[in-house]
Amino acid sequence: MTDLLANLALGFSVAAHPYNIGFCLLGALVGTLVGVLPGIGTVATVAMLLPITFGLPPVGALIMLAGIYYGAQYGGSTTSILVNIPGEATSVVTCLDGHQMARKGRAGAALSIAAISSFLAGCVATVLVAALGVPLTSVALLFGPAEYFSLMVLGLIFAVVLAKGSVLKAIAMILAGLLLSMIGSDLETGAGRMTFDIPELSDGIGFANVAMGVFGFAEIIRNLELSKESRELVQSKIRGLMPTRQDLVDASGAIARGTVLGSLLGILPGGGAVVASFAAYTFEKRVSKHPHLFGTGVIEGVAAPEAANNAAAQTSFIPLLTLGIPPNAVMALMVGAMTIHGIVPGPQVMTKQPELFWGMIASMWLGNLMLVIINLPLVGVWVTLLRVPYRLLFPSIIVFCCIGIYSINNSPTDVVIAALFGLIGYWLVKHDFEPAPLVLAFVLGPLMEENLRRAMLIARGDATVFVTRPISAGLILLATLLLVLAMLPMIRKRRDEVFVE
Amino acid sequence: MSKDAKAPLSAGGFRFKVRGPREFYGGLALIGLAILALFASSNLPGQQGFAFGPGTAPRIFASLLAVAGGLVALTGLLADGPKIEKYAFRGPIYVLCAILFFAATIRGVRIGPITIPQLGMVPATFMAFMIAISGSREMRWVESLLAAVGMTVFCVVLFVYLLGLPFQLWPNF
Repeated sequence: MTDLLANLALGFSVAAHPYNIGFCLLGALVGTLVGVLPGIGTVATVAMLLPITFGLPPVGALIMLAGIYYGAQYGGSTTSILVNIPGEATSVVTCLDGHQMARKGRAGAALSIAAISSFLAGCVATVLVAALGVPLTSVALLFGPAEYFSLMVLGLIFAVVLAKGSVLKAIAMILAGLLLSMIGSDLETGAGRMTFDIPELSDGIGFANVAMGVFGFAEIIRNLELSKESRELVQSKIRGLMPTRQDLVDASGAIARGTVLGSLLGILPGGGAVVASFAAYTFEKRVSKHPHLFGTGVIEGVAAPEAANNAAAQTSFIPLLTLGIPPNAVMALMVGAMTIHGIVPGPQVMTKQPELFWGMIASMWLGNLMLVIINLPLVGVWVTLLRVPYRLLFPSIIVFCCIGIYSINNSPTDVVIAALFGLIGYWLVKHDFEPAPLVLAFVLGPLMEENLRRAMLIARGDATVFVTRPISAGLILLATLLLVLAMLPMIRKRRDEVFVE
Repeated sequence: MSKDAKAPLSAGGFRFKVRGPREFYGGLALIGLAILALFASSNLPGQQGFAFGPGTAPRIFASLLAVAGGLVALTGLLADGPKIEKYAFRGPIYVLCAILFFAATIRGVRIGPITIPQLGMVPATFMAFMIAISGSREMRWVESLLAAVGMTVFCVVLFVYLLGLPFQLWPNF
């Protein structure tokens, strides 16, 4: 306990240095500013802003990056809520209820609760990282490839359970996403796979292209179909920027549960923030007294995933700092930044550079605090985005997405691919297929295949390894249970239909 | 592929009826995608001893997708479902043209004998905005031109001056 306090005190003494607070504030502000732009997600924001931190001292640079990360994440949630475009997979779930709240004129409450639940979750997770960082290293060490694979299967099953409509269709979307993720060079042999000899496909399809296509472009195309009146509803009737007391009471349980789930799932490498936000939403829907209202704009549906993804984002620093494994794309960028400053991520960071390790953890908490301080007063500014008429907003989003996608790799082909995915997304909606499971599977695909191949190789081709290793078996069992639970009402409904005839 | 599946529609005494068109045709399309993937990965080496080859995982997942697609199509035959909504053409075509115009002119491109010159970021952004906004039935000229100029300036300031991305702004003369 005294160790914990001493470590945190060391961290805060570093982070509270006026320069570092300044970097943190600046990072959070710039991160939000860029992240709030529709179609530009956390990864793109962090990637674009990475170069501006290179000139700073290592601690300051990492603290600023943490600020950018949280700002971008909060900005991403803002876009999800206001225009229903998730910049990346973690904010997909926020769209479901957040955007519906905005449609009902409660955009302000949704935005504030997103900031508040992120902050509260961040506070808990910071203490948790400090307290459990050391002992949890041993738990993560128990995970082999088989366990990683099973964990990701569990994550995808969560996505299936979460999807609206048919379980079967969601599974089909997962498989399609996994297949798409395999386009490009093979991990081990480098052989081009399913590239049709198109050189631009040899590196695979970028996540940003797929996400902006099926979420951004497809959404715009679909919105154009709607009549003027039904869109006007989205943009008018904004009342009450702050959440009411009742909102806070409703959200408190969801924040607590989201924080716990997020902190736990964030620790597991490969799971991280994406699975956490999906899991928290699903869990919240299951324990809710009114599960049928989820997806129509309930505050728990915003609070739980926002708390979970922030908690997970925080605890996902554990695998990065202890094992040196980046659990997601943003952490991979962090590794890049650390390496440039001559810091090799891994167990030695905690022992050799304690002021950096603990300073970073403290700055995460500060970053969260900055968000609440900057963004609650600015919620009104973001909400005015809704007042821009859609006929002007949609071309702006299109050109912005185009420039954003183009700027990632300076590749016009990426823009064309995103347009293609826009049409695919439009088709999916017409046939009642949910794009969210497809995108999640697309993100997890490469990691999943890598671990599947490694596990099979270690087990000498014996596929039973996934059910004979206890941790893996537990995860698979949980996944199966979830799937059966999700299928049950479907089976019942089908049987009812048969009986009617 | 769809021909084979449609054939039994009128064949024999046992009549099939597409009761859920969204499921039925959606499922068929997934089967088509799976077959395309199987075809595309057919030249990749498969399992060697205990090790997966590059082609193993794509073939496993493509086969599973074919099965899932088949089941989805089957539900379209067994259970009643809603009709497929009408596709709009005006919006998607304008949006698509705007995106493709941007992609083609930001750096310039050569497709066979046709060479599209590099216009640079300013004209590409401005024109893409104008093409996209023409897709809306509520478009007003003056307002649109002003918004296009505003958005172009905003993008240039943000991406080129604030973020320092190396974009060429104007065409080469």
